[in-house]
Parts: sequence; structure tokens; C-alpha cells
Amino acid sequence: MPQLTTEHINYIIKDLHYRGLVYEPLQNELVDHICSSVESEMEQGKKFIEAYQEVLKSFGHTKGLRETQRQTIHSKNSIFKAMLKNYLTIALRNLRKQSFYSVINITGLAVGIASCLVIVLYIFNELSYDKYNTEADRIYRIDSEILFNGNHLQMVTASAPMGPAIKEEYPEVEQMTRIREEGTMLVKRSIDNIRETNVVYADSTVFNVFTIPLISGNPRTALVEPNTLVLSESTAAKLFPNNEDPIGQSLILDNKHNYKITGVYKDIPRESHFHFSMMLSMESYEDSKNDEWLSHNFVTFLLLRDGASAQELEAKFPKLIDIHVTPMLKQMLGPEVDMGAFLQAGNKLDYTLRPLLDIHLHSDLSAEFEPNSDITYVYLFGAVALFILLIACINFMNLSTARSANRAKEVGMRKVMGSLRLHLVNQFLMESILLSLLSFMIALFLAFLAMPFFNDLAGRQISIPWTSPLFILIVLALSVLIGIFAGTYPAFFLSAFRPINVLKGNMALGMKSGLIRSGLVVFQFAISIILIIGTFTVQQQLSYIQQKKIGFNKDQVIVIQDAYAMGDQLQSFKDEVLKNAAITNGSISGFLPVAGTSRNDNVYWPEGTDPSQNNMVSLQVWSVDQDYVSTLGMEIMEGRNFSLDFPSDSGAVIVNEAALKMFNFTEDPVGKKIATFGGGMGADGKPNTVSFEVIGSLKDFHFESLKQSITPVALFLRRSTSRISFRFEAGNTQDVIATIENTWNRMAPGQPFQYTFLDQAFGNMYDSEQRLGKIFAVFAGLAILIASLGLFALTSFTAEQRNKEIGIRKVLGASVSSIVMLLSKEFGKLIIVAFILSVPIAWYAVNWWLESYMYKVEVGVLVYLLAGLASFLIAWVTMGYQSMKAATSNPIDALRSE
Amino acid sequence: MHSPELLKGTLQTILLKVLKDNGKMYGYEITQRVKELSLGRILLTEGALYPALHKLEADGLLQTETVLMGKRVRKYYTITVTGKSLVKERVLEFREFIKTMSAVLQVQIA
Repeated sequence: MPQLTTEHINYIIKDLHYRGLVYEPLQNELVDHICSSVESEMEQGKKFIEAYQEVLKSFGHTKGLRETQRQTIHSKNSIFKAMLKNYLTIALRNLRKQSFYSVINITGLAVGIASCLVIVLYIFNELSYDKYNTEADRIYRIDSEILFNGNHLQMVTASAPMGPAIKEEYPEVEQMTRIREEGTMLVKRSIDNIRETNVVYADSTVFNVFTIPLISGNPRTALVEPNTLVLSESTAAKLFPNNEDPIGQSLILDNKHNYKITGVYKDIPRESHFHFSMMLSMESYEDSKNDEWLSHNFVTFLLLRDGASAQELEAKFPKLIDIHVTPMLKQMLGPEVDMGAFLQAGNKLDYTLRPLLDIHLHSDLSAEFEPNSDITYVYLFGAVALFILLIACINFMNLSTARSANRAKEVGMRKVMGSLRLHLVNQFLMESILLSLLSFMIALFLAFLAMPFFNDLAGRQISIPWTSPLFILIVLALSVLIGIFAGTYPAFFLSAFRPINVLKGNMALGMKSGLIRSGLVVFQFAISIILIIGTFTVQQQLSYIQQKKIGFNKDQVIVIQDAYAMGDQLQSFKDEVLKNAAITNGSISGFLPVAGTSRNDNVYWPEGTDPSQNNMVSLQVWSVDQDYVSTLGMEIMEGRNFSLDFPSDSGAVIVNEAALKMFNFTEDPVGKKIATFGGGMGADGKPNTVSFEVIGSLKDFHFESLKQSITPVALFLRRSTSRISFRFEAGNTQDVIATIENTWNRMAPGQPFQYTFLDQAFGNMYDSEQRLGKIFAVFAGLAILIASLGLFALTSFTAEQRNKEIGIRKVLGASVSSIVMLLSKEFGKLIIVAFILSVPIAWYAVNWWLESYMYKVEVGVLVYLLAGLASFLIAWVTMGYQSMKAATSNPIDALRSE
Repeated sequence: MHSPELLKGTLQTILLKVLKDNGKMYGYEITQRVKELSLGRILLTEGALYPALHKLEADGLLQTETVLMGKRVRKYYTITVTGKSLVKERVLEFREFIKTMSAVLQVQIA
């Protein structure tokens, strides 16, 4: 058999290579195979070249060879791996080569993703409230809405008999539990009192409705007996620090009531709309057994049976109300009034069922256990997260397409070499996914670092759920998705180049070609400007609230809580404290003009008329002493304050302007009288009444959040000992606290000394707004940072692109400033467009937010101008650096080489 | 010559059986051996042979060794233990198939 020469073999190898046979494992083999075939052909007398052609024919020439190669690679199933590896190699190489853009891209995306992650975790946290209850979707709260004589009350409470009646009459209600908020109580085992907040009375069924597991004690019997209570785990730990068993021990509440501990429950999760520290048995609370359908004091929860409809149950309420409330109305308003007439007169008594899971984000009624959050915050933050992510993605797209100029030649070359468009798209997508993955890793780290600060800002305790496989999966999926999303546009944009144009240098690339790019920059800055305006507005409204004339003087007043612990010595305690020269006034009253202090209301009418629906006014009835008005710095408009000189003042009342208006006491109110029910029936069959003489009128003052309007208030000279307030002179706050505390400890040893300042308590009413303001500012700042980062890179890119142009201009005598102008002009225009676009949107959004305030700041044009100017300045500074660098460089560097 | 359509399903069986019976072989050799056995009626095309060989190798049924022959590199295939056990199965399976086919097509096979 003739042997092929080395030359022949070389010829075959080269020829096969030329025909596109490049897959190494196959190459050697085929060469050998072909050589063998050629040899056998030559044996039959053919010349080498003839034999080779013959063999090639049997292989199907180039096409057949390539097909064989394709199928071989395919059969090994490794094509995907090989391609992926190649894409990865090239992607990494590109990232390294363009490290400036890569760093900016990754930083921007990472900061964006980190912000987004933090916000999303926050939103999930918000949405997880009350979900710890295994039957959460079947639990409903009875909300009540009462419209009576111009007074509109929306409360979370129902009457005492309503819950039991519903449970009795409707079989679809599986269980019912009532909770009566008691608030703060002093708790002691033997000597020292501890102050416990969040104390409630609860029906024994509370453990059937809510998932509150008992650590010790029996949930069936724990709250059945009167004078029994259950403690939360942490309260128990506080009261029994030495690991004693609390079960069966007794506690003394408010220095007088003796209760037995029958259970300890696991602390209620943070994500709950209530956090009771102890629950007393409802049996111990006399009012829970009354039959007063018009007194709403009990938060009532229903657990419906599986499949029962809340709407259908709700529809049955009017009948229930009719049966039970009408007799009460007749008794109160006269025999001719029944439910129909009552409603006809424009009044309202409505009960609705609110799903438990709606409470945290949707419920903002009177008498909530704790201030709830608001769904608008979820929307606001969600929007901010989305915006930031968008800005970051836009950066990414912009930079990638801008770089296209540099990569156009690469694309052209690849296409000429036979790359399909699909390969290029894959290549570019690979690069962006790689960037995105890198950014996600950095973002996770950043989020981890930022979480404590955010928690501090938002008042939460959110952590990154590292161990949750779902979380990891979502993060991974998202990073790939964002990579694809951000990479799609550049991928298709770049891969669409026609190689002939690119290689000839005909493509007009860079800034001028980027209509879409300009649009995206406009979009970014429009969002940034909206966020800046939002931040300014929130800050303005906050400072407006803080500085608005609120009708009293909130500064320099210290409030001591639980003053009743002092017992009979309270008055002498006050006198004792007032001996200090720095303390000017003092007043004993639990009613203060900030939310969360005592409240009480009742109906009154002008004396001399019969009480009817038309003249009854629901009045805030505040029990105060003679020094109240002076201590709180309120203003008497007409008449006089309560005084020790007038023993008849116990029958006197001071009302605010809102009350005067409601009573129609428009002129000369002093001396007029108002009346109310005195309890019981008179000899004539009518209810007894008592009357009070108006001795003075008060200038209106705010006593709830500025989200609410001022309602009628009346001050009565009565005892209310839950708080004592002192006004003191500025400058020696520490001394004042020390003096008061010393006196307290001397006169009431063993009682907890707790104080707040009135202005702090006032500020706390706007806690959520302040948090909102801060969080908003931070994220707006981040959004602008990311947008600027993108702009920075874009300008530097333009400068680089126009390197030669700048050089020539300089050689021809252009000044530095004219070149800076030239470079900044394009982006400057874009920012002006962004400003014009963003103003109407911002105006709309700001008004939407301010809507919820009764008293709101006027957002002037100045805010908008300021926001526009700020973004313009930021952009200018960002661009300025790059423009200056380009403008001041030596033209010879740019022009030396062609 | 048999049509490639008929051969398609039996290619792997042929390769495994030939390698089992003849030990170490290289690609060209296999085509020649099959040609010989079939009295020239089965010509394995390279376009079918090499993808099939590489697939069997990737599946662990064959193993390879390369021998340098001056400028040429020759790649020998041998059957693995798993491959051997599979051959028996495949051949049995094919016998059953032929029986079935003869019944279906109503023809006697000598």
C-alpha cells in the first residue's frame, strides 16, 4: 500500500482547515481517515489529487465536512458549554479592557439594586403584618362609623354586647373575642411598682381567635375567672427575674387590684398590629357585661367559619342594630325617635367588617391599638425602588450603546468572519448578565451594610434572609433578568450594524446618534427632579407642622406620667415642686393637647332647649385644674379662667371656638349655659339633666395630629390624676428634672418616675412623617447619585469621541470656556427638557400626598425652581470635570497620530 | 446497497458489535470491516460514523487511545465494560425485531 508523503498530509490538513474543520478531536481523526481512504484509492492507480477529490466527494465536500463536524460536536452535547465558555472569556476580557465604564456600570447598578433590595424587604415586611395568625384570612374586626349631629366618628371599637350577640345569633361566626384597651398600669409584686404599657382586658377566647401560644398555663381556662391575668414572656421576665414560675403568683395593679397569674404567652411577633404586655380577664371588667349598645369601647374580632362570607354577614348587621339600638334611642331622644327616623335625619350608625390582614396598611381610625402604617407608603417606596432601578438600568444601557462606537469594528469583524446575529446578541447579553451578577453580589454586600441604618431610619428590624432558599433563588433569577433587561437594547442595537458600513467607517456614532439615549437621560433626570421636589415638600410640610401656631405653647413643659401613683399627696407634690424658682406653673390633668393622652366625650346642648338631634353637640370633655390654661400656654379670648376665688366654678365650663360655633354662641358667650344628661329618669319621665355655665372661651388649639381638624372641646374643673405637667424656664432642664425626680422619689418611694416633654410628645405625632422625610431624602440622594454617575461616564465618553474635534478647535483658537460650553450644551438642554417634563408630575404627586393633611403648607414655585437648579448644578459639576479635562488638554496629544 | 434510512436505527448496534468482536479499531478500519462483513452492501458514511462514535464515547460505552504515526494521529476505539453488556442486549433486541418484522411483513428469513 502506498504511503502518503508528509507534503500530502500537510496539504490535506491545510485544506481541511480551510474548509472549516476546526474541531480538534475530530480533525485528527478525519485526517487519518481521509489519508487511509486516499491511500486505498491510490492503490487503484489514481494520482494523489484525484484520489483526494474522490474521497472528498464521498465526504460531501465542504458542506458535508462541516455537517459532520457540527453533528459530532452536537452529539457530544458540549456545544453549549463551549460557546458559553467562549462568551464568558470574551465578556471578562471586555470588562477588564473597559475598566472605567465597567466600574461605573457596576457601581451604579449595585447601588441601585441595593436600594431596591432594602426597599423591597421593607415592603415585604409591611405586607407580612398579622400573618402569624394561622387563621388570619378568616379573622375580621368590627369597625364602627357614627355620624351624629355633625360629629363624625370612625372607630375600631364596637359596643360591649354586640360581639356576644353576633356570636349567639349567626352560626357562620365560629368564635368571637373582645379586647378593651386599658393602657398603662402600675404593676407590683410586693413593693416596687413597674409601669406596664399596652395592658388590655381580653375575653378568654382570645387564644382561639389569635395564634398566641401559651408557654405555660391552659389557654382554655387562663382568662375565664375574674381577677386573673396572663403575661407576655418578656413582661414575665421583667417581673420574675430569677426564673421563678409566675403561674399562681399574684400581682397588685395600680396599687389596689389583686390579680392571679394564670398563664405566660410567647411575645407577640413584631409584625402584629398589637403588642399586649399583659391581658386581664374580661370577667374582671364590669362594663363588659353591660347592655349599652351605644357605648363603643370594645375592639371586637370575629373568626368566621371556613367559606363564610364577610359581606353577607355584614349585610345582616342593620337588622341586628335595629332590634337592639332602637330602644336605646327612644330612651335617649324621646319615644318618637326610632332607627328609621334617626337615619333619616342624616345620622349614621354603620358597622363594617375589616379583614385582619387589612388593618396594618389600611386602617387609620380612632382608638387603634398602635399607629398603623399606610399603604401609601408602600406605594411611595415601591415607586422609589422602581425608579432607582430604572435609573440604574438606563445607565447601563446608555453606557453600553455609547461604547458601541468602540465596539462597532469588533462587531463588523465578527460578522465578516461569519458570526450570526444570534451569536452577537448572545455575546452582549452574556456581558450584561455577567455585569449584573457582579453588581448583585456587591449589592447584597451593600444592603447588608446599609440595613442597620435603614432599620434605624424606618424604625424596623428587618434583616436580609440569607438562609431562605426562596430569597437566594429570587435574587439569582432577578440578577439574570435584569442583566437581560438591561442588555437587550444594546445587544440588538449593536448586533444590527451592517459590517460594510462599520468597517468603512461610515457609521455616525457617539452622542449624535443617540435619540433614544437622550430620551433615557431626560427620563433619568426627570425622575431625579421629581424625587428632589418630593423631598423638599415633605421637609417643608414637616417644618410647617412644627412651626404652625398650634394654639398652645408646647415648649418648656415637662409631663410626669402616672401621677396617680402619688395618691392623696399629689397636690402637695405639686406645691413642693413649684417651690423651685425655675418651675413657674404646674397643672394636674391627664388631658393634654397631644395624641395618646386621656380623651373623653359626651353630648351637650344649649340649656333651655329640648335635646334633639339638631342641637346636640358631641364635646370633648376634659377634666383640668385652675392652672391648666396657664401651664399649657393657652389663650382665653373672652371671660376668665377657673379660679379658686369662685367656689361655684365646679359648675362652670370653658369652651373652645369650635364649640362656640357648634352651640351657636356667636356673640357674648360668657354666661350662657349648656346641659347634658345627668343619668337616670326624673319624676316627669324625662331623663335628668345637669347644666354648666360658660365662663370663658378658649382660642382654638390643635390637640390631635394636623391631619385632623379642630373639634369642640370643653374644660371642666374636675380631678384627672393620670398626669401632672410643669412649665419651667429655659436653660436649666437638667436641674428641673433632678428636682422633680428627687421630690417624686421622696414622696412616692417605689413608684416609677416617667416623664416626657410636651414638645417631644408633639413631635412623636409626626414620627412617621419624619421617617418618611428622611428615607425619602436618602433615596432621592441615591437616585441622583446614580444618575450623575451615568452622566459622568457619558460626558467622558463624548469628550473622548470628540477628542480630535476639540484638538482642531483649540488649534484654530477656541477658548477653554467655549469648549466647555460646547460639551455641556447638549446635556444642559436635556436637563431643561427633563425639568419641564417633571414639574407637572411632581405637582400632581405632591398635591396627592398633601391631600391627607387638614393643614398643609403651600408649596411655592421656589421649591420647583430650587429642585431644577439643584439637578442642573449637579449635572453641571458632573459634566464640568470631564469637559474641563478635555478642554484643557494639549491639542497635540489628540492630533499627533491618525 | 442498503438505504441509509434502514441503517439509521442500527448504526450504534453495528459499531458496538464490530468493536466487541474485533477489539481495538480506528474509524477507517471500522468502515472497511463493516463493508467486508456486509459484502459491500453497507457503506458507513463518515458523516454518520463520527458523530455516532463521539456520542458513544461521551456516553461511556467506548474508550479511545491515540497513537502518533509521524504526521498522522490515529485514534483507536475499544469497547468498555458497560458497552459490552449493552451489545448483548442490543443484539438480542435486534433479533426480536427481525422476528417481528418477518411476521409483520409475512416473509421467511433464511
